[in-house]
Amino acid sequence: MLRLIVRRLLLAVLTIWGVATAVFFMIKAIPGDEARIAAGRTATPEQIEQARERLGLDHSVVVQYGEYLQRLLHGDLGTSVVTFQPISSDLATVLPPTLELVALTMVINVLIAVPLGVFSALRLGRSGDTASRLIMVLGGGVPVFWLALMLQYLIGSRLGWLPISGRNDYGLESPHVTGLATVDALLAGNVAGFTDAIRHLVLPALALSAPFLAVVARAIRSSMVGALKADHVAFARAKGASNRRIIWRHALPNALVPTLTLLGMQFGWMMGAALLVEAVFSIPGVGTYLNSAVTSQDTYAVLGAVLVLGLVFILANLLVDLVQFWLDPRTRVAS
Amino acid sequence: MTTLAVPRFLPVFKIPLLDRIAYPATAVFVLIALVGPWIAPHDPYQVDLNQALLAPGAGHWLGTDSAGRDILSRLLAGARTTVLSSVVVTVGAAVVGIVVAAVAALGGRVVDEVVMRVCDIFLSIPGMILALGVAAALGPSLRSTIIALVVALWPAFARLVRAVLRETMASTYVESARTLGVPPGRLMLRHVLPNSLDSLYVQAALDVSGVIVLMSGLSFLGVGAQPPSADWGAMVADGREYVTTAWWVATVPGLAITLTAVVFGLFGDALRVRLDPTLGD
Repeated sequence: MLRLIVRRLLLAVLTIWGVATAVFFMIKAIPGDEARIAAGRTATPEQIEQARERLGLDHSVVVQYGEYLQRLLHGDLGTSVVTFQPISSDLATVLPPTLELVALTMVINVLIAVPLGVFSALRLGRSGDTASRLIMVLGGGVPVFWLALMLQYLIGSRLGWLPISGRNDYGLESPHVTGLATVDALLAGNVAGFTDAIRHLVLPALALSAPFLAVVARAIRSSMVGALKADHVAFARAKGASNRRIIWRHALPNALVPTLTLLGMQFGWMMGAALLVEAVFSIPGVGTYLNSAVTSQDTYAVLGAVLVLGLVFILANLLVDLVQFWLDPRTRVAS
Repeated sequence: MTTLAVPRFLPVFKIPLLDRIAYPATAVFVLIALVGPWIAPHDPYQVDLNQALLAPGAGHWLGTDSAGRDILSRLLAGARTTVLSSVVVTVGAAVVGIVVAAVAALGGRVVDEVVMRVCDIFLSIPGMILALGVAAALGPSLRSTIIALVVALWPAFARLVRAVLRETMASTYVESARTLGVPPGRLMLRHVLPNSLDSLYVQAALDVSGVIVLMSGLSFLGVGAQPPSADWGAMVADGREYVTTAWWVATVPGLAITLTAVVFGLFGDALRVRLDPTLGD
């Protein structure tokens, strides 16, 4: 068990290094003068040369790569040419809003996908199954940015049920502690602020969850179909266990274990897809930051944001692997 | 090997409804994509500010956008770009994936390990983010989007194909061919690949659907096909400002994306059930 955890951790470190390397060389491969961008649009040739020297861009690529890794190890991602702040502190402010959004999206994802997948498996081949599959196909096909826009318009503007943008209504913000609007509100004992923060998150999270819950429901459906055919389920049935007990106690837990891996990966993908939803709902998250960094050619800010997203993905998967070792005795024996 | 041939017509009534409509619907959409620009009732690029933001009605069935261009015509003009480029992306990613997987399968343990770790690295950057970065770096255009999406999608293919290839490689007939001294290249092309392609077709068909959505997302963010070309994602982005006053400008192209992605998704699903008998019930 311990050896396995160590192996996983080493692999995670290796992957992070790989992501850092891949992104670095991609940036180097792109045409364009980083020094010119860093020095600003109105820079004189001297200022550009100064920027080149300051950033170490006059060294060979190999030396630059070494320096880059060294800075990375010290948590130094460079300075944004747009905000003039260290990118690491920029990222620390934009990460919480995205994490919060993705966390709620994950909850909605599981709450809808699991019942939908189970229902579909139980009605296999019948009209209930067809209806569920139609929902899954629709969820997989609808573009999140458009769904976000439609929800914003219909439920936010027309019906006025939920707020259409931002994270908190004016006057309901809580003092900054973690950066998570919901947690900060709870810490400050600000109940109105907490409900307000959740209300702001519902529409973006609903929109973002659509493609993910489609995939999870499909996975649950097919593993549930398999689980219901398993010998131990037949045995439980023979022993006279109730239908409900068979479904929830004997079949579903087995169908859920492989789905965990999927959820772990989805956490990372959601962080990426959040970009589109953040754009529609004006949420100041990693996606918004990345998008503006891309438009303003803020190279190192792009790199930093991509690295952070990669890191979240790797950590989420690591965590899921460990939970799975703990939940599923078979994985322990097999490895 | 199961074939991809013409659907058998006899047991049609036993096939679930969704799978039954999948093939004809896909055919219709492919047809629209092919002839779209020719059947457009208006010039999709004709700006006429007197006709701006007209609601759907007699002259313009789906209304006009902020520049007075006919939305239906723009949809039809954009259909070809959307469907064709999604197919190009999928085929591109599949080809790169197959080549990488074949190298990994033939190259022995070390090569295999290295290739799979590289795939892991690519897979740990969300596809949308990777594609956005590459597309923005190459300069916003349709071509950049296509390249970016191939870069983002090949690792998933490589993984899938590698798993399938390993399974096929372990079968007795491949073992025999190897023992008989068939060289590795021929072994792969003649004996292993042809028998491993079924799951690839399914994945590719399902991916076209995903690519349509991803690509429209990139256009929505402004890194896809540039104005004035009729691009569905960009059309939604254009309509954003008018969503409260002229709902159809953003709604209609979004529906077109959804419908197209759904139809191709159903096609992939139907193909999966057909090619993998263990899933069909």
